[in-house]
Amino acid sequence: MKQFKLPDLGEGLQEAEIVEWFVREGDQVEVDQLMVSVETAKAIVEVPSPMAGLITRCFGRPGDMLHVGEPLVGFEGESEDHGTVVGNLGSASGNGGLAAEDFHIGASPSTRDFQPVRAAPAVRVLANQLGVELARLKGTGPENLITERDVREAAAGDGTDNGTPLRSVRRTMAKNMARAHAEVAAVMIVEDADLHRWAGGARDPMVRLARAIARACVAEPALNVGFDGKRLSVQPHSHVDLGVAVDTPDGLFVPVLRNVAERDPDDLREGLARLRRDVANRSIPPGELMGATITLSNFGTLFGRYASPVVVPPQVAIIGAGVIRDGVVAWQGQPTVHPILPISLTFDHRAATGGEASRFLKVLVEDLEAPD
Amino acid sequence: MPLSTCIPYTQFINDQGELSGPLPDWANDVDLLRALYADMVLVRAFDKKCVALQRTGQIGTYASTLGQEAVGAAVGRAMTREDVLVPYYRDTATQLQRGVAMHEILLYWGGDERGSAWKNPDVAEDFPICVPIATQATHACGVASAFRIRQQPRVAVTTCGDGATSKGDFLESLNLAGVWQLPVVFVINNNQWAISVPRSLQTAAPTLAHKALAAGLPGEQVDGNDVLAVYDRVQQAIERARRGKGATLIECVTYRLGDHTTADDASRYRSADELNAAWKHEPVGRYQRFLHAGGWWDEEREQRLQRDVHQRIEDEVEVFRATPPASATAAFDHLYARLPAQYALQREQLQERVEALGGSSHE
Repeated sequence: MKQFKLPDLGEGLQEAEIVEWFVREGDQVEVDQLMVSVETAKAIVEVPSPMAGLITRCFGRPGDMLHVGEPLVGFEGESEDHGTVVGNLGSASGNGGLAAEDFHIGASPSTRDFQPVRAAPAVRVLANQLGVELARLKGTGPENLITERDVREAAAGDGTDNGTPLRSVRRTMAKNMARAHAEVAAVMIVEDADLHRWAGGARDPMVRLARAIARACVAEPALNVGFDGKRLSVQPHSHVDLGVAVDTPDGLFVPVLRNVAERDPDDLREGLARLRRDVANRSIPPGELMGATITLSNFGTLFGRYASPVVVPPQVAIIGAGVIRDGVVAWQGQPTVHPILPISLTFDHRAATGGEASRFLKVLVEDLEAPD
Repeated sequence: MPLSTCIPYTQFINDQGELSGPLPDWANDVDLLRALYADMVLVRAFDKKCVALQRTGQIGTYASTLGQEAVGAAVGRAMTREDVLVPYYRDTATQLQRGVAMHEILLYWGGDERGSAWKNPDVAEDFPICVPIATQATHACGVASAFRIRQQPRVAVTTCGDGATSKGDFLESLNLAGVWQLPVVFVINNNQWAISVPRSLQTAAPTLAHKALAAGLPGEQVDGNDVLAVYDRVQQAIERARRGKGATLIECVTYRLGDHTTADDASRYRSADELNAAWKHEPVGRYQRFLHAGGWWDEEREQRLQRDVHQRIEDEVEVFRATPPASATAAFDHLYARLPAQYALQREQLQERVEALGGSSHE
């Protein structure tokens, strides 16, 4: 099968959505006969056939998003390379599942954030030859220009000088955190929840935290939204999907507990247990790691009081919960000892105001402090 | 001698393909009448092919000529070999008339600089396509100044869109052409849309041709969908300039029936009603009706022309496809008369690297 791959239909566009097919598998087409209309970020365009022939495969259905370079149409005949357009499928997989290392925590990073690297043409050819990815290098030349030496050193291996490259979950974590840190206008507020009304001295607060966050989201929806910093637009969410940060030796996972506002405590407890089990077994499906509307980072099982957890766009808020401790508090005019749960809230000040965050935190803490 | 503030408008053939006024004497040349039609048919078919090649990833962004074939075909034909064209990015028709090969135009839009290094000696001194808006008008004044200084009877012809007439470069060029009496002709392809900005929001001037008056030049409008009108007026202006009488501004009133470029989607800002109405004025159909009515064209000629045009396009697309990529070191060439030491070193390093790869010059 000869494959026609989706070309760049605009100027530097990365993807297009299939709108409508004008041909079907088994159809005979002429050169320049219209085959399919696709919508890019800029336009709806009709894509003609680059050749005359029999169509054996239409890749994707209306609504499917294809990246530039992915197969669009298969034609009958031996696979042969017609330059960049009609060629072998190679390693680009059109419809394979997500590889375990390729999922993203939070929003998928935009390809438009790509920064060009600075390197002379000969250095680029060398890097290509040695299989060195220039984007990973930090240039040592003037204004961070990548030099031939940089490339050779990188190619010389994961040697002692250059450290060990991050892989997999840690690599994803590093990229997402750096991007979030660069983009978000983070503001933190903290407060303690006094848990002395809780029955039986229970110290697993996850279900209560989930409920308190859900109620705070209902009372102050401004922190349960998606924010697009490029278009400066806000997308309110009708439900609360809570990302739960889970620490593992491999790095950070944030599986999503769906629709927490509508679920009863037993259901939540079971959902949490399943998330933890799945993460421990590394059997969590990629879909379960996407689409959180707000995130909880509970480091109370570890160590520490307050934190400034990082908000990952398009989310605008993350709640940190520290270790429950016995603290001396003023109670009815007297010093007394109560169990105290320290709460930290980081929010993106581009999307929410301090007042909104403060009201959110108040509802959250008051719900935590309630007897049940 | 005061200039008239009234802007003349020329049309010989109306939307129905009927004569709306007496034809000039040169129109007795039936071969020329037929050639102008063949020119427009070729441009329309080639233009469609260019869009298809962009849509299949074989060339980059392309600026379509659809609906404006008469302007470029007539301007290109009205020029003589020794004149110099200083074009902008919607000049496929003009360049073809001048003698640029179709495969060279494809190379240009395919991102290959050799697409501006035309092999035809007739166009050796024409300028490459200018993408920055209106800067070509200043280049044309430079060319015309050179003709004056060398005392050569030659004319620079430069083209631009309606949007370009709002730019300082354009207005400065008109001023200079006026005060120095330069042998230059400014042709505006007023296709009513500067990407998404309509003519009504572009300028409060009653016509774009009025902009000539402040510079002391004659300005006039022609029906840009009437190939004979454009040819007549541009040719007169060129001969006037050649006789040392100075510059002229000609506004060709036409319509952009396609998107601004292949990276644009005009349906997002332009109504279907307006577009459908504009199709009634398009240049090719009306001129074909005119030729038919006069007995200068028939079905047999039409079929022969269509076959010939499609074969020529096929052949040229093949030449384009078969052109090997430029060498990697070409990125350094043609930028400087003498390459600065730093770049010379980089070029040398690249050459070595490419040779080390076994002569594969294209990565």
